[in-house]
Amino acid sequence: MPVAASAIYFLNLRGDVLINRLYRDDVGGNMVDAFRTHIMQTKELGTCPVKQIGGCSFFYMRISNVYIVIVVSSNANVACAFKFVVEAVALFKSYFGGAFDEDAIRNNFVLIYELLDEIMDFGYPQNLSPEILKLYITQEGVRSPFSSKPADRPVPNATLQVTGAVGWRREGLAYKKNEVFLDIVESVNLLMSSKGVVLRCDVTGKILMKCFLSGMPDLKLGLNDKIGLEKESQIKSRPTKSGKTIELDDVTFHQCVNLTRFNSEKTVSFVPPDGEFELMKYRITEGVNLPFKVLSTIKELGRTRMEVNVKVKSVFGAKMFALGVVAKIPVPKQTAKTNFTVTSGRAKYNASIDCLVWKIRKFPGQTEPTLSAEVELISTMTEKKSWTRPPIQMEFQVPMFTASGLRVRFLKVWEKSGYNTVEWVRYITKAGSYEIRC
Amino acid sequence: MAPPQSQRSPSPSQPSGKSEVSDLKLQLRQLAGSRAPGTDDLKRDLFKKVISNMTIGIDVSSLFGEMVMCSATSDIVLKKMCYLYVGNYAKGNPELALLTINFLQRDCKDMDPMIRGLALRSLCTLRVENLVEYLVGPLGSGLKDNNSYVRMVAVIGVLKLYHISASTCIDADFPATLKHLMLNDPDTQVVANCLSALQEIWTLESGSSEEAAREREAVHSKPVIYYLLNRIKEFSEWSQCVVLELVAKYVPSDNSEIFDIMNLLEDRLQHANGAVVLATTKVFLHLTLSMADVHQQVYERIKAPLLTQVSSGSPEQSYAILSHLHLLVMRAPYIFSSDYKHFYCQYNEPSYVKKLKLEMLTAVANESNTYEIVTELCEYAANVDIPIARESIRAVGKIALQQYDVNAIVDRLLQFLEMEKDYVTAEALVLVKDLLRKYPQWSQDCIAVVGNISSKNVQEPKAKAALIWMLGEYSQDMNDAPYVLESLVENWDEEHSAEVRLHLLTAVMKCFFKRPPETQKALGAALAAGLADFHQDVHDRALFYYRLLQYKVSVAESVVNPPKQAVSVFADTQNSEVKDRIFDEFNSLSVVYQKPSYMFTDKEHRGILEFSDELGNLSISVESGDSVVPAQRVEENDKDLLLSTTEKDEVRDPGSNGSAYNAPSYDAAISQPLADLALPSTGLTGQAPASSLAIDDLLGLGFPVGTAATPSPPPLNLNPKAVLDPGTFQQKWRQLPISLSEEYSLSPQGIVSLTAPNALLRHMQSHSIQCIASGRQSPNFKFFFFAQKADEASVYLVECIINTSSGKSQINIKADDQSSSQAFSTLFQSALSKFGLP
Repeated sequence: MPVAASAIYFLNLRGDVLINRLYRDDVGGNMVDAFRTHIMQTKELGTCPVKQIGGCSFFYMRISNVYIVIVVSSNANVACAFKFVVEAVALFKSYFGGAFDEDAIRNNFVLIYELLDEIMDFGYPQNLSPEILKLYITQEGVRSPFSSKPADRPVPNATLQVTGAVGWRREGLAYKKNEVFLDIVESVNLLMSSKGVVLRCDVTGKILMKCFLSGMPDLKLGLNDKIGLEKESQIKSRPTKSGKTIELDDVTFHQCVNLTRFNSEKTVSFVPPDGEFELMKYRITEGVNLPFKVLSTIKELGRTRMEVNVKVKSVFGAKMFALGVVAKIPVPKQTAKTNFTVTSGRAKYNASIDCLVWKIRKFPGQTEPTLSAEVELISTMTEKKSWTRPPIQMEFQVPMFTASGLRVRFLKVWEKSGYNTVEWVRYITKAGSYEIRC
Repeated sequence: MAPPQSQRSPSPSQPSGKSEVSDLKLQLRQLAGSRAPGTDDLKRDLFKKVISNMTIGIDVSSLFGEMVMCSATSDIVLKKMCYLYVGNYAKGNPELALLTINFLQRDCKDMDPMIRGLALRSLCTLRVENLVEYLVGPLGSGLKDNNSYVRMVAVIGVLKLYHISASTCIDADFPATLKHLMLNDPDTQVVANCLSALQEIWTLESGSSEEAAREREAVHSKPVIYYLLNRIKEFSEWSQCVVLELVAKYVPSDNSEIFDIMNLLEDRLQHANGAVVLATTKVFLHLTLSMADVHQQVYERIKAPLLTQVSSGSPEQSYAILSHLHLLVMRAPYIFSSDYKHFYCQYNEPSYVKKLKLEMLTAVANESNTYEIVTELCEYAANVDIPIARESIRAVGKIALQQYDVNAIVDRLLQFLEMEKDYVTAEALVLVKDLLRKYPQWSQDCIAVVGNISSKNVQEPKAKAALIWMLGEYSQDMNDAPYVLESLVENWDEEHSAEVRLHLLTAVMKCFFKRPPETQKALGAALAAGLADFHQDVHDRALFYYRLLQYKVSVAESVVNPPKQAVSVFADTQNSEVKDRIFDEFNSLSVVYQKPSYMFTDKEHRGILEFSDELGNLSISVESGDSVVPAQRVEENDKDLLLSTTEKDEVRDPGSNGSAYNAPSYDAAISQPLADLALPSTGLTGQAPASSLAIDDLLGLGFPVGTAATPSPPPLNLNPKAVLDPGTFQQKWRQLPISLSEEYSLSPQGIVSLTAPNALLRHMQSHSIQCIASGRQSPNFKFFFFAQKADEASVYLVECIINTSSGKSQINIKADDQSSSQAFSTLFQSALSKFGLP
């Protein structure tokens, strides 16, 4: 039986209980003690997010400075439980306006109890959609009691919505200006060997939308993905236009997307929720354009000296630029002194992560700045442990660039009142885990 | 509720906590009757304080009356706080809970459906058995409410009622009502809740009622399944999980039905919720079990969605999905062999993810990708955290043992040996040993490298044992083997691991047959040390070898060092039945734990688990688990190493120690150096008195229990604050012989009080005897206690098994200082006999 939780606890890093909600009697009330003594205070912490203590299983997640712990005594559905926590946190965030941390919880604990009551009943997840919940659990409720004017209570209307067919959108929305914002956000994961061979490379992308649309609009999104284009040319019996087509390895959609239509017509059509949401996620492994290439030589000269040369090459268009580029170049623990020369940006030695951190705020395309450093090491008398070279890691953001080459071809909005909409589309590519071995 | 360690901790700051509570009480009382404007705001502040106190664990149940008085309000937020409070304390205050029934029942009839729903939910969370009669009415009308929110709450309410009082729920015929709702309600959340509730109720009922069992089966029938499937898109993502879970149990009548269902559900694989994807995967896998080729296509189909789920979301979510992918990879590695790059580890990934990935990399290795995979694994050996480095070396070894391109892998392993890192060397040694057992033809290359390793640099028992095995097995090829072994024998006493000592004995024997003159001295010393060893197995093996040699040296050689056949297949550690069981329970904890659910949810199994967990997993992390060597290792020639790692680490009873044997008689006919052997027999008799005492007790010939006839023992004082960590306990328990073993009767009151085992633990604690672990397997309770002398570090360890049906307790005592164990036993018994007496 997919019970997701018998109890949920929110703890701070010291182990103080912030929230404690018991859904079922099959776990004892002292479960939080068990968690503290057997997981939090041992080196077990972080070794595995699912732990069994006695007859109970503990699932825990750390989110900023809070642990969320779920306790069950049955053979529960783990994936469901973790997803529930993630969704619940997203819900809380949408209520607090962004942050989810110890302070936010302390300030809103009544609200959280209210929400915990609604989103789960006796261990079974219920409705977690912020759109619907916000109709009858209002943050303002805490400040201005709406009991004083029962006439315009939105509640009876809300209950109809709680379980309506379009559970993610309510009727009767009206905006003066109808706008849609669409962001394609890609993160590139790369693992490159020291010889420059790509060992593993993929892109995980997501399309984020922000909709401020009146009524019940139908949206249709066209991308330059291969299957969609082929299908379209089939239907219109027209040869595929030349130009790059992208092969998506796999796609997942927000629940608002009509999957039947996606499967038959290969178009993404949906009635969007109001406000912000993640429309789709995709994964691509073939034909990835790497925005940066890294060449490095690290020479150990004797026991106390090292020479580091790193060249980072930007391979996107010359008119574009990357922001917030950081390269972390590992050095041994016993580093004593470093001297740098960089052709661009700034570098410094960060002893707490044993890295030379090289930052370039604005990095134009088709350039290749270099860093060369001399590192002096403290000679150690302890065993001659050779230094295990961790990989060079990179962080960056490249606006208006997609590593996959994915583009939005069209975004159509259709609503029966026939209003005009303004569509905004942005692209950005970020570093996921971008690692180059050296 | 937990005593918090916060600034408002009740223990040191009790007075302030108390005064705060009485303060709140006063304020609430003032507000109770007030109808002045703004009262609700004041009440809210007060209620918030009460709830926050409740959350951090301060007992505010004394405010119950005042809270109930204040609850007469139309403010919904106030109501919610009040309901929360009432739900929390009703169980402990059934009489007070009665007070709340009134206003909850009234609220159940409110105009506002939200209030009706809330009240009904709170009414059902009171969990007080004598109040169930008040639940039936509101629940009945709740199920018929015209608002879906109320019905949704009422359905779960029925389930709650069932858990409070099953008979009331059944008598009111609620299951039938739920069934009707499930098949007719327009609202999908109501339907899903009905389904969850009914499944739970009928599963629990089916043991006692045939009708329930029939009903439970009826849910899996075609009309119900089809009805739910056709509406699946209307369900919320969570409810879809519930429905899909049910569909996975459905047995379609023919193949076309299977394809229909799969076609209908295929788009669910694109869902953003990983739980839905997993549930769909389960349906697909289970439906196609009987069709091998389609089953394989299903693997291909679900691969991409699962990989996507792994690469998105938090590490915890990835882990949950990855565990399932791991299961599938293990079942059909060839299907995933081209996807091996997905299982490469990222530098910053948490180790629990890395560990699964390593196992998957190992499984999917085949002719075409071995080179890449092994290269990647070698990177991890140098680069990442130590446990993962060890795992990856083991993974290389496993690939070598199942693979074709051994040549390259052997080179890699030998490179590991040259890396000069303790843990890398240790792991590599174990692997080289396993490798040689399978591919003896590589011995020349390996021995050349192994010969250069100094045994001083190898500390881990497993690695040391492997090195010693190689020294024995290949002593003819290693010039200094006899001398290395000799120096190891000299340090016999410093060798803590019995496994290593066992291997040392065997290795010296093997070496002796190959190079007798050089090894004679070492063999004599080893046998002497072995006979004097306190460890039962080491002692037995030494004695066995001694007698074999005594009988005939050539026979001994054919026993100890027979020509060997290379091991062709290493035994699998987990049998296929267990694996299938886990597969049946796809999409649940079983997959994450890699064991079937009965092993961690059944009470009986749990009893044992609880105990072994306490002693094992909790105290010793997974990593150091390697150093916990099974106490008695069967000689590896006969039994597989990989298998032995899964053997239960149980403590054998060494109580019938040495004295049962006669000291071996010395036969001058046997070769000269063995003359030293006479020594151990005297050493052995030195131990005899203590152990014979134990044996007498075992046979019931000992002193009558607890009578004054026993010579009065010296007064024994125990340290009331003794501490011992579980690891040390475990080690000592293994090393020490049982010095006393007795059986007591327990007073009937004591047995009765045992229903709460914690009471016994507290009781014993008051006698300065601490409990380190406990477990239960009906009708027995098992406890491990320890105590420490007040004036010295000497400790007593006690295993106490209490049979609740016979009222007897079996007690085994082990002690550092065996002479005082009788005194301790008396003390222990007197403490135990007082248990349960006023």
